[in-house]
Amino acid sequence: MKKFIHEFLRGIIKENPTFVLVLGLCPTLAVSVSVINGIGMGIAASFVLLGSNIIISLIKKIVPGRIRIPCYIVVIATFVTITEMAMKAYSPPLNRALGIYVPLIVVNCIVLGRAEAYASKATVMNSLFDGLGMGVGFTLALILISAIREFLGAGKLLGFTLFKGFEPVFVLGMPSGALLVIGLLLGFFNVLKNRKV
Amino acid sequence: MDAAQFLTIFISAVFLYNVILSRFLGLCSFVAISKETKPALAMSLSVMFVTTMSSIITWLIYRFLLIPFGLTYLRTISFILVIATFVQFVEMVIRKISPPMYRFFGIYLPLITVNCAVLGVAVLNSDMFFIQGKAVPGSFVYSIFQGVCVGLGYTLAMLLMSGIRERLDLCHVPKAVKDFPLAFIIASIMSLSFLGFNGFRF
Amino acid sequence: MEVSRGVKNKLIVSASPHLHKDESVSKIMWMVVLSLMPAGVAAVFIFGMPTLWVIILGVISAVIAEGIIQIFTKRKLTVFDGSAILTGLLLAYNLPPHVPFWLPIIGSFFAIAIGKQVFGGLGQNIFNPALVGRVFLMASWPNYMTAFTKPLNYDAITSATPLAIIKEGKILESVSYLDLFLGKRGGCIGEVCILALLLGAIFLLLKGYISWHIPIPYIFTVGLFAYIFGHQGLFKGDWIFHILSGGLILGAFFMATDYVTSPLTRKGQIIFGIGCGLITAIIRLWGGYPEGVSYAILMMNAATPIIDRYTKNRIYGTK
Repeated sequence: MKKFIHEFLRGIIKENPTFVLVLGLCPTLAVSVSVINGIGMGIAASFVLLGSNIIISLIKKIVPGRIRIPCYIVVIATFVTITEMAMKAYSPPLNRALGIYVPLIVVNCIVLGRAEAYASKATVMNSLFDGLGMGVGFTLALILISAIREFLGAGKLLGFTLFKGFEPVFVLGMPSGALLVIGLLLGFFNVLKNRKV
Repeated sequence: MDAAQFLTIFISAVFLYNVILSRFLGLCSFVAISKETKPALAMSLSVMFVTTMSSIITWLIYRFLLIPFGLTYLRTISFILVIATFVQFVEMVIRKISPPMYRFFGIYLPLITVNCAVLGVAVLNSDMFFIQGKAVPGSFVYSIFQGVCVGLGYTLAMLLMSGIRERLDLCHVPKAVKDFPLAFIIASIMSLSFLGFNGFRF
Repeated sequence: MEVSRGVKNKLIVSASPHLHKDESVSKIMWMVVLSLMPAGVAAVFIFGMPTLWVIILGVISAVIAEGIIQIFTKRKLTVFDGSAILTGLLLAYNLPPHVPFWLPIIGSFFAIAIGKQVFGGLGQNIFNPALVGRVFLMASWPNYMTAFTKPLNYDAITSATPLAIIKEGKILESVSYLDLFLGKRGGCIGEVCILALLLGAIFLLLKGYISWHIPIPYIFTVGLFAYIFGHQGLFKGDWIFHILSGGLILGAFFMATDYVTSPLTRKGQIIFGIGCGLITAIIRLWGGYPEGVSYAILMMNAATPIIDRYTKNRIYGTK
């Protein structure tokens, strides 16, 4: 059990997909405008990641090496389609907010990256916890970034206006602001990392 | 089909809603491969080729397969399969025709499969140029053109970024921001400057 | 010898132009600051005392920002080399006269921190820091950044700039070329008084601190496009109006010419100038914003490394 916990925690801090592995950026930056969207995308991607990690780990022995990437993609795409349909059915506003980035989970570097680098070589249980850890790590990163962007960029948090008379930094809601926030956060985490050494 | 629409597609895809700097598609490869100009250009040209070709193929599939059979919910799977197959095919062809060229492209070719920009433009085309399941007039040509322009926009961002990063490579930048953080900040400023094309009307 | 741009262990040797001769970096900065003084004086006269505060706050914030960052990161203090002051000054010059006090402060901090220090300091920045600050402010608080006031009326009555008026398709009345030249119009602090700006520009040109290779092609391109495509059909554009309006003179002579962020070679500089002119003209004529100088220069800043790469001087003696 301890080993599984270790797998799980690894995805959150030491190998956080967003801040350490620098993967899956496309949706991160686009979707992190508000915390709700961030959480929504995080959960959707986590579901796909978990499902695909498990299945790919299960079938790793049967998949021929040459065409493994397209096979993984089929598996991932299936989970994405399920997620897409579920979202359309149970939360149309979230689906609209996330837009094309829901189908784009298919090519989310995190999902395919973990499949190729890990799930195709590890046991099912390890892959399960890895998927969980990475998913949680991704979601936390999304929450952090969107909290900053929503708070400073729109003066709100989770849709609630916080201060009156606070002039929000509008640019943070835009792509440029997103790139800036992530650049500064990456730099900040680097400083922390260098301090530790 | 009119010239203004083409111009709008061009300005949008290349400058205003630049696939990398505004839509964030293709960021992974952008940050990873934009360190030097030669590989950046190689990747860009490959991407442009794939976006153009996949725009054509995905349009045909959407129009003549998915819509008539009411299978539009399979859009994601079918598009990505098409792209993955096409890239695999291109890889095989290049390998046969010109092994040196194949070696030159190296890992970039398979990477294009997961380049969000490629799937992104396919999905964009079907969103923009089909209304309620019917193709708008000129839809096919617009889609191909958008595929080309998205490739151009990708190339522009890559070219500018690689030039900048090559120059910065010769300098002492602060350790904390070396490589990735600085790349993002540069992209942020570039994205800011591209805002100048907002509200473009011809 | 061209001033090395923070390139480690590499000196870029070029034949000519030797723009800076034996002058040090610091002296150039201070000379540019000096040449911008007339424009500032004119602005205070045109828009009133609050203008002076914006300028002072901009300059002081820039200096403090640089000081704080350099102390924090244990680097050499360069706050007195004039470059931070120049950045703060230019940032202030790019603001409307009656902005809230925190705007130039935040703008200067951002300009110094993100536009300059994050790249490693002077000589290594890719983008003009003052413009980075300005564009950041523009995107964050567009309402404040476009609230312009009437000239020679110290009550801060709002009025639109001439470029904004024609962008809306309205006819400009009661603004003559002389008005534009002297600064009797709404606009940013440092851009309105062309006369004062030209005084400074001529000083810099005569002393050799800037060369004509960027500003003249820049202005010429804008004028040409304005002439050909200006609103009333082909070849009937009011090019004089376009050259005298907006931030073109300020941008062309004082910001596009920043030697760190513009190309090294003469040919490259001309290309740079034309590129700036092209983009400025396109935004002014067909874009959503009335003015495009800041965006144009920043975009060309990004292209400078590539321009340099393809216009490098050939070393004598080789093919």
